[in-house]
Amino acid sequence: MDNLIELRGVTKVYQVGAEEVHALNGIDLDLTSNEYLAIMGPSGSGKSTLMNLIGCLDTPTSGSYRFKDQEVKDLSDDELARIRNKEIGFVFQTFNLLPRADASHNVELPLIYAGVSRAERRTKVDAALKAVGLEDRTRHRPSELSGGQRQRAAIARALVNEPSVILADEPTGNLDSKTGEEIMQAMEKIHRAGNAIVLVTHEEYIAKHARRIIRLRDGLIEADELV
Amino acid sequence: MQLSENFRIAVSTLGVHKVRSLLTVLGTVIGVMSVVTIVSIIEGMNEYVSERLVAEGSNTFYVDKFGMITDYEEYLEALKREDFTPEDARAVERLSPSVLAAGAVSETQKTVRYRAKSVSGVNVQGVDEKYRFVESGEAVGVESGREISREDVLRRKAICVIGQDVKDKLFTGVDPIGKEIRAGRHRFRIVGVGERKGSLLGMSQDSYVTVPISAFRKAYGTRNPVYLVVKARDQASYDLAQDETRAVLRARRKVPFSEPDDFSIMGAETFMELYRSFTSTAYLVTVGIAAISLIVGGIVIMNIMLVSVTERTREIGIRKAIGARRGEIMVQFLIESLILSGTGGLIGVLLGVAIALFVSGVSPLPAAIRAWAILMGLAVACGVGTFFGIYPAARAAKLDPIVALRYE
Repeated sequence: MDNLIELRGVTKVYQVGAEEVHALNGIDLDLTSNEYLAIMGPSGSGKSTLMNLIGCLDTPTSGSYRFKDQEVKDLSDDELARIRNKEIGFVFQTFNLLPRADASHNVELPLIYAGVSRAERRTKVDAALKAVGLEDRTRHRPSELSGGQRQRAAIARALVNEPSVILADEPTGNLDSKTGEEIMQAMEKIHRAGNAIVLVTHEEYIAKHARRIIRLRDGLIEADELV
Repeated sequence: MQLSENFRIAVSTLGVHKVRSLLTVLGTVIGVMSVVTIVSIIEGMNEYVSERLVAEGSNTFYVDKFGMITDYEEYLEALKREDFTPEDARAVERLSPSVLAAGAVSETQKTVRYRAKSVSGVNVQGVDEKYRFVESGEAVGVESGREISREDVLRRKAICVIGQDVKDKLFTGVDPIGKEIRAGRHRFRIVGVGERKGSLLGMSQDSYVTVPISAFRKAYGTRNPVYLVVKARDQASYDLAQDETRAVLRARRKVPFSEPDDFSIMGAETFMELYRSFTSTAYLVTVGIAAISLIVGGIVIMNIMLVSVTERTREIGIRKAIGARRGEIMVQFLIESLILSGTGGLIGVLLGVAIALFVSGVSPLPAAIRAWAILMGLAVACGVGTFFGIYPAARAAKLDPIVALRYE
């Protein structure tokens, strides 16, 4: 199986004022196209930085990050946007839905940026909302949805462009445990359907849903284990 | 990303802040409004004036001893020149084949009284027997009584013909013929009442008293300049008539061959030129005012767009995270400021047209709404929106998605 994601000696250094912050200190990581990986670690361990790098929101300071055999460092801003649009589906802790757009428009956005025709967009949006059980909430705005419904709308948005990998950053962090469990079931379903998932969490019981867990400490992988 | 999508987003975003959007475009509204209003009114006046001056009165020109005086020395010099007389008019008529008729006129403003009633600011004209014919053509004559005759002029008779306004104000229910009125301190007996002429640009043409020019100069002195009014036979002989008149008058005034004219000839085109130089100044002033308010309006738009970009940092972050490219964010915000200023332009055009129509409805100023003025107003407004939208849009496009997503 070819690697979807391949990190070799990746470091990331931030300049905060006069101080250099070493967020990642040499990460080697491979991910195949049907894996379910959880990234764990205390705050400040570099989880979010690693997530941003994998999500092509950021580029490494040194080392190599290959996404589908493409060196991310060589890509322009717009090419990174293209990868985020077509290959990656983001699920955030704070949902990050557009507050003034209804559920179906929020789900439609990645398709709009992908240049998909209106008719095709409609079918895909409807299918994605149905997949997360929100088919009767399409015209509701985020403020009219419960937390779990909002996160399911966000998952539908992440799925709608049929990405290679779903990146979920603390997807249950703002939800009660019952709703959180529902969301994790939805993630499980997505994984079974053949998607790779990278999950960032600091909750052990959430991480247990994954097949593989890596533990970060001080910008290094401390442990890499299969569940 | 389709443009229609951008329009949809922009309209819905602006709709959320209706009052703010409206205040933002106020400068643009005022700029476009003033352009459309003033252009409409000036164009209306142009149309009106050129119709009246060129179409109707273009066969007529004026001769006076002053011409365009630009300083006091020149004025003193011109004062020494010989006054024109009705005899000059007769000579021009007799000796210039292209001239249909010529008249002499001198005028002043006086309060006119009949018994206890009075009208102030009446145009008192000393005329010869041809003046009224030359000035108004055959269409306007006397309603009752008679015109001033050559005999009246020669005998310096203290008689007059009055206009409709003077009749209406001094003689309600009384036949004015044969009555004596006072114009200033001098008495004139009414022999005729002129037909109604109507008004020109809001000024009544019927507030006059005409007396024989000889009587006028006796009563009011010789300081008031005398004009000759000359009518060419037709449009084709207009230029020729001016040349002939010039030759006749130079000969009568014994101007040596090498000297310039000691009088000047002004035709309708001279007035048109004067008028045009006035309106072009008005145009410049308008453009200046509009430019200032459009620039200020543009800066306001830029300011509000910067606020909007900051407020929507998170939205921009979300859009970038799910795949919006820089150009797409840029276009989104540019379209937003374009719609903002375009709407301002549209409101400005509507208000401008409304004001122009209102002004021409309640005042004598005519208005001509020009498509080019409307299109120009809209185009400039959109241009302002685009130009002043570039900086905020570029700022939005340049935002780092990670920072933007973390923005609270």
